[in-house]
Amino acid sequence: MKKEKVELTAEEKAKKKEKTKAAIYTHRGFYVMFLPVFIFALVFCYAPMVGVLLAFTNYNGIKAITPEIFVGLENFQKMFKMSAFWTAFKNTLQISVIKLILTTGFAVIISILLNEIISLKFKKVVQTIIYLPHFMSWVVVASLFSLILAPTSNGLVNSFLVQIGVLDSGSMIYFLGSNKWWRPVYYIVNLWKETGWQTVIFMATLSGLNTDMYEAAGIDGANRAQKMWYITFPALANTILTVLILNLAKIMNLFESVFVMQNDAVLSTSNVLETYIYYQSFNSGSIPNYGYTAAVGLFKSVVGAILVLSCNALSKKVRDGRGIV
Amino acid sequence: MAKEKIDKRYVNKAHIHVFDVVLIIFFIILSLILIVPMWKVLVDSFDLHTSYGMQLLPSEFGFAGYIQIFTNQTLYRPLMISFFTTIVGTCIALILSTLGGYVLIQYDMPGRNFCANYLLFTMIFNGGMIPTYLVLRAVGLTNTIWVVILFPALNVYNLVLMRNFFEGIPASLFEAAKLDGCSPMGTFIRIVLPLSKAALASIGLMYAVSYWNDYTHYKLYITNSNLYNFQMKLRGMVQGSEMPNVSGNLTENTLQNAAIVIAILPFMILYPFLQKYFVQGVNVGAVKE
Amino acid sequence: MFNDISRRDFLKGMVVSGAAVGSAGLLSACGSSSSSSSTSTSSDSTSTDSTESSITKPDTITVMVDGTVFTEANGREEFWNKCEELTGIHYEVTQPDHDAYYDVVGQTIATGDWPDVIILSATYYVSYANEGVLWDMTDAYESSALKERIDAAGSTSAVEGMYINGRLYGMPVTRGNGCITYIKQAWLDACGLDAPTNYEEYLDMLTAFTGDGTYGVSAAGFIGSDSPYVNYLPEFYQDAWPSFYQKDDGTWADGFEEDSMKEALQRIADAYASGVIDPTTLTNGTKDCRNKFYSEEFGVFTYWAGTWSTNLTNNLVNNGVDGELLALPPIDEVPYYWDRLPIPWCITSTCSNPEGVFEYFVSAMLDAGDVELLFTYGVEGVHWSTAAETLYEGTDSEVSYEEGEFHMLDNLETPGTQYTKAHIDPMLALVAIEDDPGADTIAEGARTAQQTFNENSKTVAIVPATDEYSEYNGSLVTTKNELIANVAIGEMTVDEAYTEYAKEAQAWSQLIVDSLNA
Repeated sequence: MKKEKVELTAEEKAKKKEKTKAAIYTHRGFYVMFLPVFIFALVFCYAPMVGVLLAFTNYNGIKAITPEIFVGLENFQKMFKMSAFWTAFKNTLQISVIKLILTTGFAVIISILLNEIISLKFKKVVQTIIYLPHFMSWVVVASLFSLILAPTSNGLVNSFLVQIGVLDSGSMIYFLGSNKWWRPVYYIVNLWKETGWQTVIFMATLSGLNTDMYEAAGIDGANRAQKMWYITFPALANTILTVLILNLAKIMNLFESVFVMQNDAVLSTSNVLETYIYYQSFNSGSIPNYGYTAAVGLFKSVVGAILVLSCNALSKKVRDGRGIV
Repeated sequence: MAKEKIDKRYVNKAHIHVFDVVLIIFFIILSLILIVPMWKVLVDSFDLHTSYGMQLLPSEFGFAGYIQIFTNQTLYRPLMISFFTTIVGTCIALILSTLGGYVLIQYDMPGRNFCANYLLFTMIFNGGMIPTYLVLRAVGLTNTIWVVILFPALNVYNLVLMRNFFEGIPASLFEAAKLDGCSPMGTFIRIVLPLSKAALASIGLMYAVSYWNDYTHYKLYITNSNLYNFQMKLRGMVQGSEMPNVSGNLTENTLQNAAIVIAILPFMILYPFLQKYFVQGVNVGAVKE
Repeated sequence: MFNDISRRDFLKGMVVSGAAVGSAGLLSACGSSSSSSSTSTSSDSTSTDSTESSITKPDTITVMVDGTVFTEANGREEFWNKCEELTGIHYEVTQPDHDAYYDVVGQTIATGDWPDVIILSATYYVSYANEGVLWDMTDAYESSALKERIDAAGSTSAVEGMYINGRLYGMPVTRGNGCITYIKQAWLDACGLDAPTNYEEYLDMLTAFTGDGTYGVSAAGFIGSDSPYVNYLPEFYQDAWPSFYQKDDGTWADGFEEDSMKEALQRIADAYASGVIDPTTLTNGTKDCRNKFYSEEFGVFTYWAGTWSTNLTNNLVNNGVDGELLALPPIDEVPYYWDRLPIPWCITSTCSNPEGVFEYFVSAMLDAGDVELLFTYGVEGVHWSTAAETLYEGTDSEVSYEEGEFHMLDNLETPGTQYTKAHIDPMLALVAIEDDPGADTIAEGARTAQQTFNENSKTVAIVPATDEYSEYNGSLVTTKNELIANVAIGEMTVDEAYTEYAKEAQAWSQLIVDSLNA
C-alpha cells in the first residue's frame, strides 16, 4: 500500500483526495450514526485512561497529586519483588485457561449429546434446566456450594462418599479449605453454573446443520458414534475456535467467581490478580496505596492487551483475514 | 412415541436404540445434579423455620417470605428499580450496539478502520476504578440511576457480535435500498433492524441479564440506598451484613431465599419465549460461515 | 483562622490537581461541595477566636452516616427534622447502605467532596487523621462543657483511647463494645455442667457439647481481618495478639512473632482436630453462624455483648428452642475481652466552621438531655411513645402499655417487631441521659451481658498510621491469616507456618515495627 502511495502523481493525489471527499460526503449519515458510540467510548473508556498515571505515584486517595508523589517505577519494582504477586499472576493464567478449556469442552460434549436426543420435548426441558444456574448470582452459588461441600453431615457430597464407603465419617474432606481440592472444586462449580449457557451457541450451530449428511452417512453404514465424531464435531470446529479466541481476550478479568469461593487457607492456590488487588486494599488496616494497586492494574492491562492483540492476529490467520473487530 | 414431535433425522427409525435410553438416563441424572442446589433455595424459601442443612421439603410451609418481598417497601422498591434499569438499559445498549455494528460494516467508508481500532482499544485498556469514578462524578452521573444504565451500555464485545450478524445480510439488499433513495438511517430502520430480530432478541437478552444481575456498578457508583436494585439488597442479605428485621415467626433465612427465587424468576419466565430467536441470533451473530 | 483558610485553599488545590489526573470537568462538581458545606457564618468567624461565647452556630451541616443512624425506611426524615428542631441547624444527610459504607467513604474522600461531619471506623479515623482530612478537635474538646460531663460520668478512658499522639480528631459518643461468649444454658443443664472458669473446663464443656451433628463452638473464620482480630475465639487466643501492640516500655512489637501466639495456634489446631470447633469455621459467614446457632448445631457462641444477647435469644425462641443464654465472664486464661475502638464522629478539615459544628452538633449528642434522647431512642411518636396502646411482638405475644409508660414503637420497615435503640446504645453511652425514660426497658439478659462485658473488657490500642504500615500491612495481614487458617485446619504445623512466615512476611513486619518505633 505504502509503495503505491509514493508513486502517485500530484494529479492522482488530488483526484484521490476528491474521491475521499466525495466518499466522506456520501457517508455523512454514518458518521452521525457513529457519534453516540464515539461519545460513549470517549467518556466512559478513554477519559478514565488518564488514570494509568496513578501507577507512577504513591497516591492514597487523600494526598494531593503533586510532582512530589510521583515515584517513577517504584511501584513496579515493589510489585515484581512480591512473591504473592507472582503467585497471583500465575494462578490467574492457569485458572482462567483451564476454566475456559473445561467449560468450552464440556459445553461441546453436552451439545453433541443433546443433539442426539430424539424427543424434542425432552430436549427442550433439559436445555431449560441446564441454562438456569447461569441466572444465579455468584454469591448465592458460593453459599450453596459451601453447604453442599461441607465436611459435616450437612454436606451432601461428603455424606454420599461416606455412605458408599469411599470415606469414613471421621475423615471427611474439607473441599473448599484444602489447597489440593480447591481448584478442582472451583472448576466443577463453574461447569455447574456456566456449561448450560455455553451450549446455547453450539446448539445454535447444530440447529443449522444439514440432516442429509446424517442420512448419507447412515446409508454408508456409519454408526451413531461415528456420525457424532465425523459429522457433528467437525461442524462445530469453527464455532469452538471463535468462542475460544473471543474469550481468551477476557481471561485476565477473573474476579467474582474466585472471590466468593476463596478463603484464607487456600490463598496460595486461589489468589488471582484481581483478588490480590482487593486484599492489598482491604486487609491493610489503613488506607491503601492506590498507586500500587494501579500499577498491578496496569500490568494486568498490558498482559490483557498482549492477549487481545495476539488473539486478533490469530483470528486473522485462521479466519481468512477477519480479526476480532 | 408416535404422536410426539421427534427429530427429523430419526423419522425412519423403527425402534429406539439402547444408546437413546442411556442418553435419556444421562440427561436425567445431569438435570438432577443441576437442580439439587437450587432445590435447597426453593424449599427454604417456603420454610418458615431456619434450617442450616439440606432438606427435601419445608418443615413449616408458608408464603410469608414472598408476601414480605412485595409488601416491604425496602424490597419492593429495589425490585422496581431493577425492572426499570433493565428495560431502559437494554434498549439503550441495543441502540449503541446496532448503530456501531452497522457503521463497522461500511468498509468503503473513510475512517472505518479508525472506528474499528477506536473500539478495539477500549477492549484492551481501561482506566481502573478510581479514575473511572472521578470521570463519572465529573459528568454528574454518580448517585443517579443513569450511571448504572449508561455506563455499561457500550459493550464492544456485543457490538462485534452484532456486526458479525449484519455482515450476514445480503449486500444486494443494501444496494436496492440505496437505489430507492434510502438514507443510511432509513436503510438501518427499514432493512437492517427488521432483518435482525433474532440478533436483537439474543443480544438483548444478554444485556438484560447483565443489567438485571448488575451489582458492581451500584456498589461503585451509587451511594444513595434509595437507588439500589434488587441484586444489591440480595447481596446484603446473603452476606448477612444487611437484614431487614423480619416480622412474626418468619426467620431471616426464609426471606433471603424467597428473594433469590424472585431474582431468577423473570428469566425463567422470559426464556422460553425468547429461546427460538435467541438460538438463531447467536448462530448468525457469532458463527458466520 | 487565616491558617484555616489557607488549608482549605490547599485542599481545594489538591482536588484540582486530582481532577487533572482524573478528568477536566471535575472542578465544577467539586465546587458544589464547598458551596453546600460552607455556611453563611464562615465570613463572620474569621474575626472570632476560640472562646466559647463567640462560637457561631452553623446554618447547615452536611453529614455522612452509616446504618447505625435511622435509615430512610426507618424514619430518617423525621429523625433529622427533629434534630433540626432541637439544634436549630439544617442537616444534609448522606447515608450509604451499611455494607457499602466504607467503599463510599473512600470514594468521597478520594474525590474531594467532603461532608462537614462523618462517622468513621477506627481504621479510617487513624488514616484520615494522619493525612489531615480531619479537624483537630483537641482544644475544642478540652475546653468544652462536654469534657466535664464525660469526666463526671466516668467515661474519660473511652475518649482517651481515641487520642493519636496526644491529639483528638473524633468524638465517640458510646463505648466501642465487643464480643462476649454466650453459652446455651439448656445445653449446660443437659450435660449437668456449670459455667467453665478455666480453659480445661471450657474444653471439657465443648467436648460434652460435641456429638452427632453438633459441636461446641463455631465462628466466622479463625481470625478477623479487623482489629480486634481475636474477637470470635477468645478462649483459644487467650493472651495472644496477632498484630502490632505497644509494650509497657512504649516500644512497638508484632504479637504474631511471640510465643503466646504460637501456643494459641496450637490450641486452635488441637481443638479443631478433636472436632469441638465447627468443621466449616473457615468458610462460615457470620450469618451462617447465626443460622447454625438458631438451628441448634452448636452451643457456645462468642458474639456482640448487650442488645445482641436479646436478639440471639429472640431468634432462638422464634425457631422453637430454649433461648436462655449465659454471658460468660472471661475464663482464667483470658485476661479480658477486647473492646473495639469506639466509632467517632469526626469533623473534616474543609468544614468552614468546625468549632460551631463541634459545639452545637457533636457535643449536643451527649447533652444528657433532648438531643441525646433523640440519638438514643429516636423521635417520639415515630420510634417511641408513652401513650397507652397494645403492640404485637411476633405473632403470638402482645404487650399492653399504660399511659405514660415508655416503650419503643413498631419497626416501620417490618411491623410486628419493635425498635431497640437509635444511634446511641443507652447501655454504652458515655454520658447517661438524665431521667432516662427508657431505663426500665432494657432486657435483663442484655443488661447482664453488657455489664459482664464492660467490667471485663479493655479497649484495643490505636496503631498510628505510618507509610510503611499502609504499604505493607495489607500483604502482611493476608499472609498471617493464610498461615493461621492453614494451621487451624491442620494443613500446616505451627513450626511450618513460622518457617513460611520468616521467608517474606517477617521482613515487612520488621519494617512496620521500625517505622512505629522511629
